Amino acid sequence: MQIMTELLKKPWFLGSLVVIFVAVVLWNIPIEKRKYGLSQGSLVTDYTGLLPQHVERVVKAENRDDMQRIVKEANRNGQKISVAGLQHSQGGHTYYKDGVVLDMRTFNKVLEIDERKKTIRVEAGASWEDVQEAIQPHGLALKVTQSQSIFTIGGSLSVNAHGRDIRFGSMAETVKEMTLLTPSGEIKNITRDDPDEWMKYVFGGYGLFGVILDVTLELTENDVYTIHTGNLKTDQYESYINELLNHRNTAMHYARVSVAPSTFLDDMVVVNYDYTEKQDHKTVLKKEQGVQLSKLALDVGRQGGDLEDLFWGTQKRYIGSLDGKEITRNNVMRSESTFMEYTKPGRIEVLQEFFVPVHAYKDYINDLKQVIPANDRNDDFKVHNITVRYAAKEDFTTLNYAKEDMLGLVVLIQHGLKEEEIANATSLIQSWTNLTLEHGGTYYLPYYRYQTKEQFRSSYPGWEEFEEEKLRKDPNNVFQNMFYEYYVK
Amino acid sequence: MSHKSARYLPLVVTVGQVVIFPYYIIWLKQVSLTFTLFAWFFASFSFAAAWGYRIYQTKKNKDHSYLFIIYAGMGSVYILIGCIKNSYEFLPYVVLPLQVVLGVLQGYFRAWHSDQDTYHLHAVHHYLIVGFMMIGFSFLKIISPVVFITIFGLLLLICGFWEFIRRGKLNVPKKV
Repeated sequence: MQIMTELLKKPWFLGSLVVIFVAVVLWNIPIEKRKYGLSQGSLVTDYTGLLPQHVERVVKAENRDDMQRIVKEANRNGQKISVAGLQHSQGGHTYYKDGVVLDMRTFNKVLEIDERKKTIRVEAGASWEDVQEAIQPHGLALKVTQSQSIFTIGGSLSVNAHGRDIRFGSMAETVKEMTLLTPSGEIKNITRDDPDEWMKYVFGGYGLFGVILDVTLELTENDVYTIHTGNLKTDQYESYINELLNHRNTAMHYARVSVAPSTFLDDMVVVNYDYTEKQDHKTVLKKEQGVQLSKLALDVGRQGGDLEDLFWGTQKRYIGSLDGKEITRNNVMRSESTFMEYTKPGRIEVLQEFFVPVHAYKDYINDLKQVIPANDRNDDFKVHNITVRYAAKEDFTTLNYAKEDMLGLVVLIQHGLKEEEIANATSLIQSWTNLTLEHGGTYYLPYYRYQTKEQFRSSYPGWEEFEEEKLRKDPNNVFQNMFYEYYVK
Repeated sequence: MSHKSARYLPLVVTVGQVVIFPYYIIWLKQVSLTFTLFAWFFASFSFAAAWGYRIYQTKKNKDHSYLFIIYAGMGSVYILIGCIKNSYEFLPYVVLPLQVVLGVLQGYFRAWHSDQDTYHLHAVHHYLIVGFMMIGFSFLKIISPVVFITIFGLLLLICGFWEFIRRGKLNVPKKV
């Protein structure tokens, strides 16, 4: 006590206390999150906030009977219904002008886990995080999910999402059964051999074919993987991924392409998760770690020019440091996301994803250098990151993006919100989309619709069938959203 | 004149700090993302004030207190706060050092002030003045707290300048 009293009289001690405390506070300052969703004043938005719209009301989904009644009423009185989960889609998929929004986040119970059959039955408003928390103690993991666990099951299936897994095909193919509230207000149990082919339209159907109430998902073991990383040139990647798919013992994979000026679209880093024959029942699900540091690094990269080179170098070193470490399947499927938050007024960060056939990748990347500048430091339109993931051929859904084995380039873009800045971004993304189409590729639909209607039709030749089936299954057009209105209606 | 300034400048500063406090709180709450962070900002201010207080107390030559720097420093911080127009994501990282600077300066000032023979008289006066001023301010519609914060910052800068001019011409009588 005496020592403490003496210490507190010393200015150097008090100064040290301040410095230590400030350091602790700095480390723990929370990252500001984007404000979006169903409670932003009188207008609703989704994650980008680019399409604010007035809706009649938001209904929290709590029980099946209420939802059924709402759908039947809508059929009678001409109301429009949209379905919303965590609203990470970015093109108005979850609401419609003057419509009713079913907020599914409250419909999130895990109904049944069958350890023997390796399945889980879960309500559609549950997030992948909820599912992981439920199955992890059983030593089970998802077959296919996104690289982050912040989305709802219903939302991910409605956009037929994909992730890092390279062995189990598309997410839609891992659904064994589904309970669907159809546009006419019936509650149906749907299996894969359903003669009406509901799954074909509901998965990747962007909420236009009814409400997914619950699904039974196939699971797999919570395997332990060894991380293997490496550096490549973009022209080596095509043969690398083919080798990986055909001959390597790799379960999951992703890569990053440099968008830094000095190595622009030339350098790549690859991350593989290789089987170890081990399984894990004990390792806890990881929480977000080091988000402040990751955000700081990303913010440095966001400045462009030399700082983007520095960011790329740091990223390569960080990824290289993971080489040889072990990680469980569940933990691979729950990457950090908070560090990507960006809330600068007057600017926005959006995602776009372009799919290109594996065999066309090299030429595509070469041609892409003519579309986007290597150094965007002084430009309004900035590309901050390109992650590459493999998407196996899938012809299960109507609006399928992987008509053959594809590489998906997930692009993080930043641009201003002034009219001319949005027009400039639109023009660049349309050029990028044209290039993708020229190489036999397509683009992903959950994101903001910079593309034209013609580009949509070229990318998704199944759109006519989609529209016809929509009219057949939902003749009163009860399920509506801004995505459908823009592209199809 | 010089004597009056020595007598009234600390009172202006003390009263101003208390009067500006509610507006400063509103601003700080606006830039704090969570209550936890808001509380941490205050804690950092408080620790820094203790540090500033002891810096003055352990100072050997108290005749050279450099009060003009303290006034001008506090004024500059408040003006800087007034200049931060938009809320943006780095703001907490800017606010934290500002809180520390403000804490050190206020702690130093308080230690100096309590060493003056006018301190106890100022204490009574400042309570009364603050009471009346707050009644007056209650009839003013707040456009933005930063307007008041900036005005107070300018006032402190003027105090700093005044103190600088006064400095050297007169020795402030010390408490015995």
